[in-house]
Amino acid sequence: MAYTFRGGIHVDEHKYTSDCPVETLPEPPVVKISMNQNIGATCIPAVSKGDRVLVGQLIGNVPEGALGCPVHSSVSGTVIAIEDQRVSSGAVESVIVIQNDEKNEVADTVVPYTGSIRDLTPEDITERVRLAGIAGMGGAAFPTYAKINSARGKAEYLIVNCAECEPFITADHRLLLEHPEDVVRGVKILMRAVGAPQAYIAVEDNKLNAVKRLRELCGKDGIISVKVMKTKYPQGDERQLIFALTGRELPAGKLPADAGCVIFNAHTCASVYTAIATGMPSVRRIITLSGDCVATPKNLSVPVGTPASCLISYCGGLTKDPEKIISGGPMMGQAQWDTAMPVKKSTSSILILSADYSKKPSTPAVCIRCGRCIKNCPMHLMPAYIAQFVQLDDMKNAEKYGAMSCVECGSCSYNCPGKVEIVQYIRVAKNYIRTEAARMKQAEADAKKADANK
Amino acid sequence: MNKKPNKMGEMPELLTVSPSPHIKTSDSTRSVMIDVLIALLPAYIWGVFMFGIRALVVGVISVAACVIFEALVQKLLKRPVTVSDCSAAVTGLLLAMNVTAAVPLWMPVVGAFFAIVVVKQLFGGIGKNIVNPALAARVFLFSWASEMTTYVAPGNRISSLAVTLGDADVVAGATPLASLGGGTLPEATLGDMFIGNIGGCIGEVSSLLLLLGGVYLLVRRVITWHIPVAYLGTVAVLTYLFPQVTNSLSFMLYELMAGGLIIAAVFMATDYATSPLTPIGRIIYGVGCGVITVLIRYFGGYAEGASFAVLIMNLLVWYLDILGMPKRFGAVKKKKQKKADA
Repeated sequence: MAYTFRGGIHVDEHKYTSDCPVETLPEPPVVKISMNQNIGATCIPAVSKGDRVLVGQLIGNVPEGALGCPVHSSVSGTVIAIEDQRVSSGAVESVIVIQNDEKNEVADTVVPYTGSIRDLTPEDITERVRLAGIAGMGGAAFPTYAKINSARGKAEYLIVNCAECEPFITADHRLLLEHPEDVVRGVKILMRAVGAPQAYIAVEDNKLNAVKRLRELCGKDGIISVKVMKTKYPQGDERQLIFALTGRELPAGKLPADAGCVIFNAHTCASVYTAIATGMPSVRRIITLSGDCVATPKNLSVPVGTPASCLISYCGGLTKDPEKIISGGPMMGQAQWDTAMPVKKSTSSILILSADYSKKPSTPAVCIRCGRCIKNCPMHLMPAYIAQFVQLDDMKNAEKYGAMSCVECGSCSYNCPGKVEIVQYIRVAKNYIRTEAARMKQAEADAKKADANK
Repeated sequence: MNKKPNKMGEMPELLTVSPSPHIKTSDSTRSVMIDVLIALLPAYIWGVFMFGIRALVVGVISVAACVIFEALVQKLLKRPVTVSDCSAAVTGLLLAMNVTAAVPLWMPVVGAFFAIVVVKQLFGGIGKNIVNPALAARVFLFSWASEMTTYVAPGNRISSLAVTLGDADVVAGATPLASLGGGTLPEATLGDMFIGNIGGCIGEVSSLLLLLGGVYLLVRRVITWHIPVAYLGTVAVLTYLFPQVTNSLSFMLYELMAGGLIIAAVFMATDYATSPLTPIGRIIYGVGCGVITVLIRYFGGYAEGASFAVLIMNLLVWYLDILGMPKRFGAVKKKKQKKADA
């Protein structure tokens, strides 16, 4: 029996690239590396225009004391600009543009660690992970060192998220097939860093060939075990993953560590291993370029900062008129303005989809009260009701009905026959409730200040 | 591969930038409504077979009137015209299936007006109506009680033009439901009841085909089992425990298959707009429908209780959904929370 959870949806998988070996993208002429690769502070550029940089060289420093990861150059070449640019999240960020000299010269700060992992203390490992600039590569981009620190001593289980439940994406699948040993070694390093006695590698049952390879590597001592999950969206959501594996329900607003778990993405584990073994910081990643408009969808190993247009032309260009370009998966990814958008450490896929996928209705979107969203909600909310409260501008009731517990997986919107953008209404409510709470807090603080000044 | 690749850079001027999810199910309001129509058709065709071409004429008029009224009122209210979602057609077919084949042909038109204009559109259109349009219209049409209760005898196929009925065409004696109300088992055998060889409304006679339609809806995941099972189960239990004749098992079976109970439980009570969304809410709703149906059948003036039962429960849907609110993922029971806090 595969592990699973209640709710969720079955989405057409569209995993066209499961059998495509990872190809290395030819050196892109220019890379654009954002100074904001992860959740946390924006880095301060450590180089200036005209500087020569090498692969793995530090180019962005985290402000003193702030949460965040340093940023490194992914190619060797010359900095031709430091400018503000729109990136995949839609925000305008400071971006370092590097002209690639294609010499691939590696910085002398990249030093392999040749000793035994046992000689490294958990703190040493965490520091190396931090310096390597590793952040969650599944999409959320939470700084990995901070996650290790939050879970150290608390986590009974280290869970490796290889669910890859979003349609189209096969980057982690290929990684597990081609470099499973890197992932497993990374898991061992992270177990030591976190102090977790046991690890689960969670793989959906549409990747049984990867399960086989991983089981061969993990051995039979049960310290690291491979768990087969049912293929269902959103199986890769951390709450659903923890529930499916341990039976523990993690309420909204709590961290996995509160349930005795810590979750890392498969690619993050591999990057941790690479960073410690070779000294190379997080500057490359595997990415899936797919969608019905792409001539030949592929899995590619690319330097961070490669513009999407380079990937598209390598895959043979477009065969259909695209309606949307998406960074990330089709369920939770972000639609893009153009193809200039550079790959980030957390970009697992770029999808180019035609209008066939959006299934625009011929009649106006309206809730027909079928109840599917309630049946599918992995957080067991009543999305239709929350959406209706938002339409009526009744944010109090939206909050009462659990808007803040929503994980924004989009199962409700996907399956809505009335084509209501349910999850977007809930996002509106969440945003409003958050802003309002911040405003109240501010008002309270101001009042206190005024009292003190009396 | 003869695909002609675009030259790179030939991206469209404007891409769509909209929030996720970027892919959607191919199901739509229209596909759901078409599924309901498909599920209704076997029982309706049986009605046409049993009661003649006139049953077909009543159906065509009813569906056409519903669609036309919906388009007209939406034009008039300057709303987008949404007849292509087929929901008006479903209402029309349900209405036709809930009258007898002998009704004057103006009656489905009046019913359609009441269902679509008054009950549906004036309350805001699809998904917003408080009570089931087809059922409300049926009850409205009971204002003409004798026309509504002149049931055609099974197999007496009447032509489209016959407006007045001779005695021979009308159900001899009473419908099975009426005899049950009178405290006697009907003349029709249980087999006749199951197949639909009995008098009654056009679409309600064949229990077999209605249940078949229900199975189709379940398989297509248009409805869930909660409401029909809770409704029919409640009626079964109550009629078995409190039979009005000596043989409680056959009394229960007759009660289940007589009148509009099955069409109400499978197609009317499960109407999306007027039924609860939560599984627990749906079960309470189904049980409520069952209890009220039996009470009306036992103690009410009308032989038929299902229509009224569903309409009454329609009004409670909001409260039932609050009652049935699912336990939130990760939510801790209040008592436990207090303990943990203490």
